[in-house]
Amino acid sequence: MAAVDLPIGGHAAESEHGDPNAPYYSAKKGWKSWAYTLDHKRIAWLYLTMISIAFLAGGIFALLLRFELWSRGKTIVDAETYNRFFTLHGGIMVFLFIIPSVPAAFGNFFLPIMIGAKDVAFPRLNMLSFYVYIVGATFALSSIIIGAVDTGWTFYTPYSVTTSNAVISMTFGVFVLGFSSILTGLNFLVTIHTMRAPGMTWKRLPLFIWGMYATGLMQVLATPVLAITLLLLIFERFFGAGIFDPKLGGDPVLFQHFFWFYSHPAVYIMIVPGMAIVSEIISTFTRRQIFGKFAVALSSLGLALLGFLVWGHHMFTAGMSEFSTMLFSALTFFVAIPSGVKIFNWTATMYKGDIKLVTPMLYAMGFIFLFSIGGLTGLFLGMLSVDIHLHDTYFVVAHFHYVMMGGTVMGFLGGLFYWWPKMTGKLYNEAQARISFVLVFIGFNVTFMSQFIMGSRGMPRRYYDYLEQFEPFHKASTIGSWILGAGLFFTGYILLSALFKGKKAPPNPWGSAALEWQTETPVVLANFRKPPIVTRDPYDYHLATEAELFDGFPEDAPKVAAKPSEKTPAKKSTTKKKDEE
Amino acid sequence: MSLEPTFQLPEQMSTSAPHIDNLYYFVYWLSVVLFVGIVGAMCWFAWAYRTRPGHKATPTPHNLVLELAWTIAPVPLLIMLFHWGFQGYMDLSVAPAGAEEVRVRAFQWGWDFEYKTGESDSKLHIPVGRPIKLVMSSNDVLHAFFVPGLRTKRDLVPGMYTSVWFEATKPGQTDLFCAEYCGGKSKDQNGNELDFAQFKGHWAMHSDVTIESEEAYQKYLDGLGGNKPPEERGKSLYEKKQCIGCHTIDGSKGVAPTWKGIWGRQEKLSDGTTITVDENYVRESVLEPNAKIVNGYASPSVMPTFKGTLKDKDIDAIIAFMKTLKDK
Repeated sequence: MAAVDLPIGGHAAESEHGDPNAPYYSAKKGWKSWAYTLDHKRIAWLYLTMISIAFLAGGIFALLLRFELWSRGKTIVDAETYNRFFTLHGGIMVFLFIIPSVPAAFGNFFLPIMIGAKDVAFPRLNMLSFYVYIVGATFALSSIIIGAVDTGWTFYTPYSVTTSNAVISMTFGVFVLGFSSILTGLNFLVTIHTMRAPGMTWKRLPLFIWGMYATGLMQVLATPVLAITLLLLIFERFFGAGIFDPKLGGDPVLFQHFFWFYSHPAVYIMIVPGMAIVSEIISTFTRRQIFGKFAVALSSLGLALLGFLVWGHHMFTAGMSEFSTMLFSALTFFVAIPSGVKIFNWTATMYKGDIKLVTPMLYAMGFIFLFSIGGLTGLFLGMLSVDIHLHDTYFVVAHFHYVMMGGTVMGFLGGLFYWWPKMTGKLYNEAQARISFVLVFIGFNVTFMSQFIMGSRGMPRRYYDYLEQFEPFHKASTIGSWILGAGLFFTGYILLSALFKGKKAPPNPWGSAALEWQTETPVVLANFRKPPIVTRDPYDYHLATEAELFDGFPEDAPKVAAKPSEKTPAKKSTTKKKDEE
Repeated sequence: MSLEPTFQLPEQMSTSAPHIDNLYYFVYWLSVVLFVGIVGAMCWFAWAYRTRPGHKATPTPHNLVLELAWTIAPVPLLIMLFHWGFQGYMDLSVAPAGAEEVRVRAFQWGWDFEYKTGESDSKLHIPVGRPIKLVMSSNDVLHAFFVPGLRTKRDLVPGMYTSVWFEATKPGQTDLFCAEYCGGKSKDQNGNELDFAQFKGHWAMHSDVTIESEEAYQKYLDGLGGNKPPEERGKSLYEKKQCIGCHTIDGSKGVAPTWKGIWGRQEKLSDGTTITVDENYVRESVLEPNAKIVNGYASPSVMPTFKGTLKDKDIDAIIAFMKTLKDK
């Protein structure tokens, strides 16, 4: 996997974009070099900054919601404000944070590096997608100023046709955001197909790339349906088109079909990238090939396919025919197969590994723990008769938070700690990071485990006030949200202090065999000084050379000839890590 | 299985509850076993193969048999779970012949249960040991009928009928919720915040289901409408149809004009004209709340139409009640 001298030599001399062999963040200077950048790594940073702000905003709304629910009656805000808060929490988290999170930040930064390319296939389209995101976010959030939306993030009709006009601005914003998502997905698909380095065969493709590939397919195929739905909703409000509003002869259930036809695949747009990160982390910290790599890659595609066939399970009590209800329930159970395949294979990868429990690995294991709960509670909801009791209760709220937050966000945080040294060139404080993981993990479980119980006891969701019997569970959940919030703020502090005053990171602090760790840190503008030739799978630890797995600074490396074709197993022990303090 | 509430599920009060609860607990214990297996293995591996001097990872070859095993093994289990859930669902979908029908209308924000006698109430009473079928619709936006104790839930959709049926197994009282988000109101027409007691919304559609013996049920039906004088009928409609939520009768300011002294009052309308409150104005306002809005109140009106909910006789009763609310 090492870079090999090509007859054509290195890169062309300094271009208009800067010296290809200079660190990407200093190859050009000034704010314009960021605002007009076509470099995928800088665009990743722009995205990461914006989605972090969105995560912070959505998180603050979550804390406010939980605080309002601390006691019965009015705690801090009135009912209308509460309804707006949960709409904003859901809308911001789904459309501005989770959907773009992993693909737009880590996908942009690492997808080209992991396949040995200089950039994505369409750098200008990539830049455009970021500005489209900004425009969409502006429209969506301007609804707060215009008059606030209180429909919930699902915009169910006919309520959304009767309530405040700000719905139009918010749905238009989401409509625009969809294009950003489509552009990113399209860009990645083309990049993966056409820009793989010599030797990066489909068989050797990292699982993160397989995840991005499945996600890209869903983004390109499902998002247009959301666009159509939201456009129809805007038509309905402006012109009284009579598509969804029963007063005009429309069908409100039709809206739910349209909405979930996108929003169910969107669930997999959110979770598959999280799973993709977990595969990378587990391989690196067990120092083993991912067990059943082919099956794990296929399961990503399987989830992408099934994602299109199960939207109706959001509507079991909505008034669909019994026949469609049966069909959607049956199809829904098949989702368990690819999800199970992933979990089983990850666990099997740890067998006979050399496991290092640093923060990214803790997050990957946290993912398996929490996603298992999220997935298994999906079985309850897939069974029609049990779903009748659990539908639209806090059980559902807890279930999808275990999948979305316990899954995707754990993967995202794990990815942040895993790739932070490569992205910033700085090491974070491992001891602090472990404490932050413990806070996040415990806080999350306290917050949402109590919601499972109150949900199965009959507490409906989106309630401003509740009966006395649910009070202890709400109190526990609110306390959990404070622990979780503290953990996340601490995480932010750890990462930012690493960025500004962390120790310099070596190119491969984890001793990973994967390609993105073989390039230097900080990453040069062209990603590799010499175009790489790939000679093995990214997880083939037994084929990697000692120089490739060396986890310190290259100047300290033992003088071992790095022959890429050499098939001697790595002998290096990984116990003496410089990053552990 | 006991009928008492368990830690995870509420009291069982209907014939479908044991089926649902048994399935719930079956999947619960299945999940516990799988979860402990997966997470146990994960934690065991993390400990047994922890990195330490002299320890190395060992590559293992691809194991097609194992891969196929855990791909295929869950299939029969999943089919079984689907089948049980579907079977129970079909039983819940097809009401037995002869089930007593109750007509349910939901609106922002309340319930209207109309019994076979033609009388209606905001609370649901049902007899024990007899199948009851609810024929439901919504007057405005989506709502959902949810009674945890009966393990039943179904959306109420404007423009179409939906139905559920259940058979209660023991007398008692249990909670009824709206489970589909339907908005809320906590500010008056000027944007000022109301008192908590005047907040209305999705969560406030809480009502009760009273399950009682056949005799008590009949007595309840008889007492509902019966031979009460119109003013008293009007007063009970005022409370049951949620007029009380916005219109006060003590002269205090609410979301809508107070009914104290309303009869014969001169009201200035939002279009500048003036009208005297009489039978025709009240009738029009009940059926078409947006036709003539009193100046200074929200336009369009937040009041739902009662067309199809209140009969002529009911409107007459409300008028009779209004006439008693004199301004002293």
